[in-house]
Amino acid sequence: MDDLLAEFIAETREMLEASSGEIVAWEADPADRARLDTIFRFVHTVKGNCGFFDFPRLAALSHAAEDALADCRAGRRDPDPQMVSAVLAIIDRIAQMVDAIEAGEDISNANPDGGDQALIDAVNVSRETSGEDGASAVKQGSSPRLHAPASALINHADDGATDRAVSSRRADPSATQRTIRLPVELLDRVMSGVSDMVLARNDLAHRLRQAGNQPTIDGPFERLTTILSDVRDAITRMRMQRIETLFSAMPRLVRDLSAELGKQVMVDLDGGDVELDREMIETIRDPLTHIIRNAIDHGIEPPSARLANGKREIGLLAIAARQSGNTIAIVISDDGHGLDEDRIAAKAIATGLISAAERSAMSRDKILNLIFEPGFSTAEVVSNVSGRGVGLDVVRQNLEKVGGSIKVSSQPGHGTLFTLQIPLTLSIIAGLTVEVSGQRFAIPQSYVEEIVQASTTALDLSHMGETALITFRGNRVPSLMLADVLGLDTSADAARDPTLVMLRLASGDLFALVVDGIHNHGDLVVKPLAPAVMKSGLYAGSTLLDDGQPVLLLDVANIAAAHDLVSDGRARALQPVADEAVKPAHALPRAMLFTDCNGRRSAVRLELVQRIETAPVSAIDCSGPRPRVVIDGLILPLIDLPDTAVPAAENAGRVRLLRLSDGACELLVAVRQVEDAVELAGPLIPVPEDPLAEAVTLVDGQPVTLIDAHELFARYGAPPVVAGRPRCSLPADDWARTILAPLVVSAGYEIVSPESADPDAITIVFDEVFEAAEALGRGLTGPVIRLRDRPEATAGSDTIYRYDRDALLSALTSAARFAHRPGGRA
Amino acid sequence: MTNQLLVIVQIAGRRCALSALDVKSVIEIGTVTPIPRAPAHIAGITALRSQALTVIDCRLALGIVQHAWPTDARAAVVAEGGHAYALKVDQIEDITTAIGEPGQVPGGFGAQWSRVATGMIETLTGPALLIDLSALIAGPDTLRHEAEAA
Repeated sequence: MDDLLAEFIAETREMLEASSGEIVAWEADPADRARLDTIFRFVHTVKGNCGFFDFPRLAALSHAAEDALADCRAGRRDPDPQMVSAVLAIIDRIAQMVDAIEAGEDISNANPDGGDQALIDAVNVSRETSGEDGASAVKQGSSPRLHAPASALINHADDGATDRAVSSRRADPSATQRTIRLPVELLDRVMSGVSDMVLARNDLAHRLRQAGNQPTIDGPFERLTTILSDVRDAITRMRMQRIETLFSAMPRLVRDLSAELGKQVMVDLDGGDVELDREMIETIRDPLTHIIRNAIDHGIEPPSARLANGKREIGLLAIAARQSGNTIAIVISDDGHGLDEDRIAAKAIATGLISAAERSAMSRDKILNLIFEPGFSTAEVVSNVSGRGVGLDVVRQNLEKVGGSIKVSSQPGHGTLFTLQIPLTLSIIAGLTVEVSGQRFAIPQSYVEEIVQASTTALDLSHMGETALITFRGNRVPSLMLADVLGLDTSADAARDPTLVMLRLASGDLFALVVDGIHNHGDLVVKPLAPAVMKSGLYAGSTLLDDGQPVLLLDVANIAAAHDLVSDGRARALQPVADEAVKPAHALPRAMLFTDCNGRRSAVRLELVQRIETAPVSAIDCSGPRPRVVIDGLILPLIDLPDTAVPAAENAGRVRLLRLSDGACELLVAVRQVEDAVELAGPLIPVPEDPLAEAVTLVDGQPVTLIDAHELFARYGAPPVVAGRPRCSLPADDWARTILAPLVVSAGYEIVSPESADPDAITIVFDEVFEAAEALGRGLTGPVIRLRDRPEATAGSDTIYRYDRDALLSALTSAARFAHRPGGRA
Repeated sequence: MTNQLLVIVQIAGRRCALSALDVKSVIEIGTVTPIPRAPAHIAGITALRSQALTVIDCRLALGIVQHAWPTDARAAVVAEGGHAYALKVDQIEDITTAIGEPGQVPGGFGAQWSRVATGMIETLTGPALLIDLSALIAGPDTLRHEAEAA
């Protein structure tokens, strides 16, 4: 509540500051229509805001001023000097009250009547008579400063409330957090400087890794890294704020408005973790509030009317935010009676916005969007809540000022959907990097609902005409091949074993994007793209990966729209209600269902599953007492591998593995097929005979063995071991030490001395040394690479010219594979 | 403006001049990430520190598809309309000083060249075609669109 109040005060004061110039100008020329509108919007907003705080005096004052100004706007009344003075007096009084509220005074007691009524009368009286009593009331009530609201903050006025407010504000200046204003451009410069620093750090880190361990450098470098990430966080926070701060005020707003209007409205907020520029949040605050007010006042019907139309008594207002690169989409939908096309058209003709001839040529969509025209309102009764047609034209104006847009779509009887698009020139978003046809692309994380990896048959991929559909959790979901979307070659590998990224759009539609693989996710700094590239409609921006490689960010919303996957319908607004009915009262334990290599259906608790890995059979090492697998450079124990090489035949040499973790230890379970995440609704029946089974339960009428994680980790769990680098011994001369060694090290090999006689080490020798050793009968063990001095090869000898880099590297790679395959230690 | 500094580059075997004020730097071009479904003359994006540059293939931007010329490993970085571009050319020669104002030649330079050229300019090292950056970056398609619109 305090937050809301502080916001109200800050906002009102900001508007006062902004409009003080307008007020002076209006006084000079009361006929100036643009100024009149600005002042009208100010009092209108104050009225609307104080409606849900309990400030009856503020509400009464602003309402009176609004009435008078509305009359002027409608041409029912001329703004004569008395009225102007009266309105200005009210604005001054509002400024005083705001100060008093901030100082924590109870304004209703501080100055019981405070001459409010005199001010209100002055505004109204002058409507009929421009007599003296009106003017004198103004003088009485407003104290001598008519058009200088700012002076209220510093003057020594006789008004008690102001005095106390000012002094108490002065007495305690340190209580509020100190802030300064900075040009955004400066922030941008600092931010791109920090991004450069991060890249330089990454580059340095890469070089340090190549150079090996250097304790004197590593320590300070670690410190630099920590500081840099702190600075980066701070810089990011300087500009960014979660939209939650805006959303958090919504439930209260909706509650108060609906109570006032005798309606029942439920609010559903989604995407509160979307971050956007502070500046943007401030810009969209008013538009959003206006739209919500309109939706509740005009959109959602009273409970009785809803019941009569066969709807739920409680109306639903859904607000969802999604980020896509440089734009944020906010969708506000209600399930009210929708917009009335004919009434809007009639109104537009009546107010002279369009002619009757133009109307007949306009599409429904165009007519609906007329509601954003200045001076338009369809509400027949002017209520205290939503106003006299200032709302939506201001909304559009504010959004367009920052390069955004707004549009509306509506189905009669079913509801209305407002879509706000707000641009972001520079932003940091969480993104997922995917690969298709050998190229990487980023997808904003906020769209990603889930990542599914399964075989084509499990997904029941079917083609309906040109559209591919998959079955996902019992629903048919349209799917797009990213390679087709981008016009890249589809690799056969991906078609057989696709990875699906399930994306949910701001409108609530779900679709699947088929990619070759997932790389990783992380924070991406999104930079705008050149206009010619943006025109393709596929990309929202570009970003740099940690290694400095540029990657394109996909414009998911646009791609979906281009493939007609976005519905304007009611999917989003209606869905949560259905979900609610299904959801059980308490959360059931969830488990990952799979078929193990012996064909047995088993399950493991979902919390344990780190991720699902796919490893080539060659990564499995069976030489030890227990099989092990190398994944991401870690050696992990593998269990449940079948004795025969069944998976090799089934999955083209690859094994599906479940990576389980208890926090410290990790292990892998080989499975034949991963099915789905399920809720364990049935009773768990213990199985004392099998120590590895926690229980047996029923899933969809089929028995499933739940694996006992405690026993599993007790038996097999081991902290992961970093896989050793392949070793290589070099000839003992200066050339090898200074020229050959760096090449071999940078290729990822560890240099060992020839004396270590490591049988796994690859030996690089000069051909004459090799031949001498052979001749002496002391052949070398392990793989050997023979070098020759001259470029020309001698016939019959398997040697490599010592400056042939490519041949040398490929020989190393194949030798390493040879060294590790048969019984090596991986 | 008579002593305007120019960067002389070779595009499709012709000597062209860019205003030295427009050229921010000359870089060794690294890995270029292609952009699927982008106009043909956009070779992709590449990274310059934390900045992403749009790489323009100048020959394709003139609608010349031949590859009879070598391509310089260096590219000129220019800024146009708030975006940074790297221009891939045959060769970056040198910086020189202009003598006089750009002028036209009888018969023009040919449709594509006329579109991107401000005119011929005399320099200390001989004549060159002064390039209008925004027209070059817009690529060959714009000419066609304008023709269609007319």
